[in-house]
Amino acid sequence: MIQDLLLLLALAVPAAAAPDLSADALLRDHLWREVRAAEPSRRPKVGLVLSAGSLRGVAHVGVIKVLENAGFPVDLVAGTSMGAVIGSLYAGGLPLKRIWQIASATRVTSGNDLSGRSLISLLFFDKLLSSENTGKLIDQELGSKRFDQTKKPFACVAMDVYTGESIIFRDGDLAPAVRASMNLPGIFQPLEYRHRYLVDGGVVDYIPIDAARLLGAEWTLASVTEADYTVARPKSVLDALEQVIDIRGAYLSREQRANADFLIEPPVGDIGMLDAKRATEAMEKGVVSASKRLQAAEESLILASIPRLAGAWAGPEAAR
Amino acid sequence: MKRASLCALTLLLAAGPARAWRLWGEPSDRKIRPVQELSDARKPAEVLAALTPQFMQTLRGTDLRQAYVLMGDNLTILRRPDQALSTYQLGVSLFPKNVDLLTRQAGLLHDAGLNEQAKPLFLKALQFEPQHFGAHKALAEIEMSLGFPDRAAEHYEIALEVLEKRADVWRDYAEVLLSLGDSKTALLAIERALALEPSSKDLLVLKAFILRVAGDHAGAVNCLDLALAQGAGAGARRAKALWLLEAGRREDAASEAEKVLAEAPGDAAALWVLARGHLAAGRPGKAVEALTLAAGSAKRDSFSLRAATALRAKARELQELRLR
Repeated sequence: MIQDLLLLLALAVPAAAAPDLSADALLRDHLWREVRAAEPSRRPKVGLVLSAGSLRGVAHVGVIKVLENAGFPVDLVAGTSMGAVIGSLYAGGLPLKRIWQIASATRVTSGNDLSGRSLISLLFFDKLLSSENTGKLIDQELGSKRFDQTKKPFACVAMDVYTGESIIFRDGDLAPAVRASMNLPGIFQPLEYRHRYLVDGGVVDYIPIDAARLLGAEWTLASVTEADYTVARPKSVLDALEQVIDIRGAYLSREQRANADFLIEPPVGDIGMLDAKRATEAMEKGVVSASKRLQAAEESLILASIPRLAGAWAGPEAAR
Repeated sequence: MKRASLCALTLLLAAGPARAWRLWGEPSDRKIRPVQELSDARKPAEVLAALTPQFMQTLRGTDLRQAYVLMGDNLTILRRPDQALSTYQLGVSLFPKNVDLLTRQAGLLHDAGLNEQAKPLFLKALQFEPQHFGAHKALAEIEMSLGFPDRAAEHYEIALEVLEKRADVWRDYAEVLLSLGDSKTALLAIERALALEPSSKDLLVLKAFILRVAGDHAGAVNCLDLALAQGAGAGARRAKALWLLEAGRREDAASEAEKVLAEAPGDAAALWVLARGHLAAGRPGKAVEALTLAAGSAKRDSFSLRAATALRAKARELQELRLR
């Protein structure tokens, strides 16, 4: 009897309170409406930046889901490595539901020809693998799009392995550029494209804020899926390579994150570079993390927009 | 024939849901019944005194399961949630398929804000009792708090099959739908809530928010008026002032803002409305004054303070332009 009463009591507690009518909440809600309704010229151009991070990077899908649901304006997208794959699909106009499906079905072999046999040839015959499937995926989902055909402007980053330069792609065919951006060094053959030998951009530009700025971003929201390399204990050649790339990525991102206007960092640091079984978990962590930070992101963009919005609010009288 | 019926009944009982015993009344065994009666008589201290370790050791099966439920429930009544949680945990480790213990442990974790830990327990309870409305309602709240309004809506839909007379659940469901951008269904849900509690000012305020999202600005303001008539406080009037400003009715907005300020002097949102009116009328100096007042009265690091400071800087620029 009493347990039923208790259950009823617990259920009787209102979970979601009535709308928050505090000055802060109402002013935020009012201004967010103004920002969303404003012409693009009346607010900063928003760039979504998706970091490298191999399979951890599928957490970006969760972040994008939250931003989309909230109607967060995204004017352009830049990505590196897995960030380039997710970013290109999103900027290319693929429905988020489909991107979620693709990411959920991610296997270690999704973007490459990684298999037991190919690993043996990698280790014993020094024969690097091909990342051809990444390009195929992009072409298959987006229909051989070029950069100038995406719904939102998009850029991605790769590295020229001969010169060490960071190469920002923002024109030409989408698929080879995204493939180059996701071309893990030491495992995949460098991709020869536009007279360069390209490998994963995460080696030089982990959080491609510069690429977003090049596209015209004035306010950047970066989704960062950095590894927590302190938890890993490498036991194989691949593990050791992953560890070195993660450490390098952490150093790079430490400097780059300061350049972002807003950061969302899904806690996926413990997910391994090729840990495909945890793809859905990574995406869900992206959702949870972005949901927690959404209000702060809105506030940040509102505050950045006020000086421009104020021009419209003031009317012609004020400037006289 | 008799034997066959008996076998069928035994099979039915064995295959039934975890709480099938409830169909036949309270726990069958005599040992736990006196403790159960103490609990029903709301004597939590006596229940705990009765459930000694020695007594617990003599219990088996349903009795033991019920003993953990009683101990946890009464510890909760005595506001000892940590001990209640460990009791339920122990109970769940012994009876991992018991829905009562699973939902209680999950409920305590949920109340403590540990939603990520509570969620798998509620999901496990649903494996054994798929239509458990309490678990669905709690999961709806959890999914919403974690950022999955689509999943929350699905759970509310199941919970509302049983809780259809609960205005607060309809309201929560409406909020979830609103966050999904489905203002049409949200409106239907809030109407169901209002049918149950027609004079609730909170429900009227939420309806106003839904109407605003649906694009019915005038309807939203009218709904706020209804809420104000039901005794909604300065918050509803503050919303009205801002929404009138959105509609371009600056004078009406300023008049509402003055009423808010009469109730809550220094209110940052109301001062913002006044400042916007001054800016639009070409009085940046007055806007700076209002925003300075807003910044001075807002809490440190609050959004209102930062917004007022940002607009004040721009208003100052405009003021200097005018003075040149």
